[in-house]
Amino acid sequence: MLQFDILIVGAGGAGLYAALETSKRKGLSVAVLSKVYPTRSHTGAAQGGINAALGNVAPDSPEKHAYDTVKGSDFLADQDAVELMCEMAPKIIREMEHMGLPFSRLKDGRIAQRPFGGASFPRTCYAADKTGHVMLQTLYEQCLKNGVKFLNEWFLLSIVHNGERVSGVVAMDLRSGEIHGIRAKAVILATGGHARVYWNRTSNALGNTGDGTAAVLRAGLPLKDMEFVQFHPTGLRRTGILVTEGARGEGGYLINNKGERFMKKYAPEKMELAPRDMVSRAIETEIMEGRGFRDDEGNEFVYLDLRHLGRKKILERLPQIRELAIDFEGVDPIEEPIPVRPTAHYSMGGIDADKLGRTPIKGLYAAGECACISVHGANRLGGNSLLDIVVFGKLSGEDAINYVSEIGFAPFDESEVKREEERIDSLFSSDGKEKLVDLRSELSDVMSYGAGIFREEKKMKEALEKVREIKERAKHVKVYDGERTFNTNLQQTLEFLNLVEIAETIVLPALERKESRGAHYRTDYPKRDDENFLKHSVVERGEDGELRLSWKPVVITKYQPEERKY
Amino acid sequence: MEKREVLFRIKRFNPKKDEKPYFQEYKLTVPKGMTVLEALQQIKDTQDPTLAFRAFCRSAICGSCAVKVNGFPKLACKTQIFNELDKFGTDTLTLEPLDNMEIIRDLIVDWDKPFKRMEEMKPWLVPDPEVVPKTLDEESRVYPNELKKFDSFTDCILCTSCFSSCTATQIDENYGGPFQLARVYRFAVDPRDALKAERSKIGYAFDMWNCVRCNKCADVCPKHISPVDGIMKLRGLSIDVGLKDNPGARHVMAFYKSLLESGMLNEVLLPLRTKGIKGVLENLPVGIKMILRGKAHSPVMKPIGEHETLIKVMKAAMEVE
Repeated sequence: MLQFDILIVGAGGAGLYAALETSKRKGLSVAVLSKVYPTRSHTGAAQGGINAALGNVAPDSPEKHAYDTVKGSDFLADQDAVELMCEMAPKIIREMEHMGLPFSRLKDGRIAQRPFGGASFPRTCYAADKTGHVMLQTLYEQCLKNGVKFLNEWFLLSIVHNGERVSGVVAMDLRSGEIHGIRAKAVILATGGHARVYWNRTSNALGNTGDGTAAVLRAGLPLKDMEFVQFHPTGLRRTGILVTEGARGEGGYLINNKGERFMKKYAPEKMELAPRDMVSRAIETEIMEGRGFRDDEGNEFVYLDLRHLGRKKILERLPQIRELAIDFEGVDPIEEPIPVRPTAHYSMGGIDADKLGRTPIKGLYAAGECACISVHGANRLGGNSLLDIVVFGKLSGEDAINYVSEIGFAPFDESEVKREEERIDSLFSSDGKEKLVDLRSELSDVMSYGAGIFREEKKMKEALEKVREIKERAKHVKVYDGERTFNTNLQQTLEFLNLVEIAETIVLPALERKESRGAHYRTDYPKRDDENFLKHSVVERGEDGELRLSWKPVVITKYQPEERKY
Repeated sequence: MEKREVLFRIKRFNPKKDEKPYFQEYKLTVPKGMTVLEALQQIKDTQDPTLAFRAFCRSAICGSCAVKVNGFPKLACKTQIFNELDKFGTDTLTLEPLDNMEIIRDLIVDWDKPFKRMEEMKPWLVPDPEVVPKTLDEESRVYPNELKKFDSFTDCILCTSCFSSCTATQIDENYGGPFQLARVYRFAVDPRDALKAERSKIGYAFDMWNCVRCNKCADVCPKHISPVDGIMKLRGLSIDVGLKDNPGARHVMAFYKSLLESGMLNEVLLPLRTKGIKGVLENLPVGIKMILRGKAHSPVMKPIGEHETLIKVMKAAMEVE
């Protein structure tokens, strides 16, 4: 059996930072397992930047960064974790800079910073509009330098633990199709988000299917604040592909069919740079009230207008956005406005973890988008996710080093491997009465209907029922490809089954949270209710297979809840 | 909306089962705006679940989905089908796996070889203690014009399209490869790097002089990077650090010398200057023919008119570099 002191699952920013941290300690055996080659991870698609109070452009401080983050979160974030993250931000930016990360620069050679939504100052460090990409490349280079071992194109199936300590995972080598138990003293999950639940309209990669999150749920462990899903205001009209917030940070306008910058009605001060939840609701409201545009295919949208920025600025600061708009919408932003609409983007909720990434099971950590620490609360600010992943990747890596150096391997129950083999075998022999592609689309539609940007009791109840029905019907999905070598039919099926499990954990707490907070907006309860709901939701699956909902207090240090105005 | 009936010819191969690759045909009604990746997924969803291909971000940044479309490497996710059909004047698209790598299954190739090669070439920053601060209280200073020298090379998404079409890779097992050598250059001109131009020695060890400048790597790059440009500059750096005693460097120096002397390429002296007496002997049969047909010029050439202006231009160009 493969065996490592520390196994990291996922090779995006969080996984690679954890790997880098652990690789500095000599004598530890560490491996990174990922279902894609490391540089394919979705961190690479982050465009606009990473926040840190460097104060290179305007005076700034970690306290102000923390305040903006807490306010952006609609006061649901745990403030001790936010303070830790914002305090570490400048140092970790410099650490990556020292690794060779090619940040865009000011004339005097220091790191440039741009304005972003919900921030009081230009605080977002960037590399044109490819920040996540160069970050991922830089971290990967440093991992190669430190000789990190990679298991590329391996798929996580389950987490093995004994109720107290983690003992490893079961995973499939996609190339051979073989299923292996992997023993580890510590496992760091860095498996990314799950916005692919909204399959038909999302900015996410095809593989952002919450594999780690679903495995944690199956392992009987808690997920937190799952009702909070961020819809990014500016996805491309047809595909939902992301247009960075940096486009508005550089001065882009949002325009309705009356030619108005409609954000003046919703956030008179911050305008286009209000937080994402507000801007997304504003766009949807414009469309619902008939002030959007509609194309021949029936797609509805508003315009993101960059033309006044001028050719030079667009080519220099937003070259990738320009190319995406040309390739996917046939629109050159230098000449024409870009048609956009909100798109499912980011999972604020995830695996319940503390500020060192620790879960209730010793040795099991979660970091990055799969985790809910929680630093984003009910709504994440742009530029804080790249920060979150590196900070908590690093911290969980550090803590895991300490943990494994004092402890031996926990016994690994090999029947877990057999159980996964049987689960997969059954997919080949199912009756095939249901089709993967249909169910995936139905799931997406019902989630957008019931747990989208605007929510209400009746729709959510319908959605919960429908999701449970889809979960039952999913038992009849069949894998038709009988080969074991790189069976992408099997992989896509497993990914879909993860999404179905996660969908239920989003709707259930959404139904019970009878207030509006951040990205969770209820037309039947349009106000925030601190008295009853200033608390985290926690969802676990009981032994009977049913979900159980409980609540957990929010950590408040110095920022008292106040009304959120921009 | 406009729709077209399109025939997809897709190369299939499962080395565990098939003796050799074969083409399978699928028909699909394609609406305007559909990408090659969307078509592949639709074929998989509705016609053939066994079709194997890689895809991830679907927005041209992860580098997973490069395949050959009618013979040319493309990212499937950003390639519009109608554009390709119009370009080739056809209603058939042929999709094949990339070249220069083993096929794992169908359109999926084995990336281990190109990535391992890159790793051998040490593609990571080694911080220069003179430039990179020792503590995390400070940033290193990198000025915008310095960043400009290597910025485009950091766009590389490792899709291996360039590697697939590289002529030198096809014939030389030891050749570093286009994206790999370009990354060596990226670090060689990063002011924060301790090795700096010395990195060109890595390029030399990995046969960078075997690049034939066919330019295919630049033509196929979906991120508009020109690896060949980086390789040429890396060659220049190798001459700067003293790697002059080799045919590649001597060949370049011979061109340079020729221009300094007369402003014209002295083809008679070129073999001698590049490869010495051996070069002269090798080129003798061609040389004799050229002399017999009156095509050869004298080894002593008169400078062209305005030769001095040319020299000024050359010097100015080198300063800019």
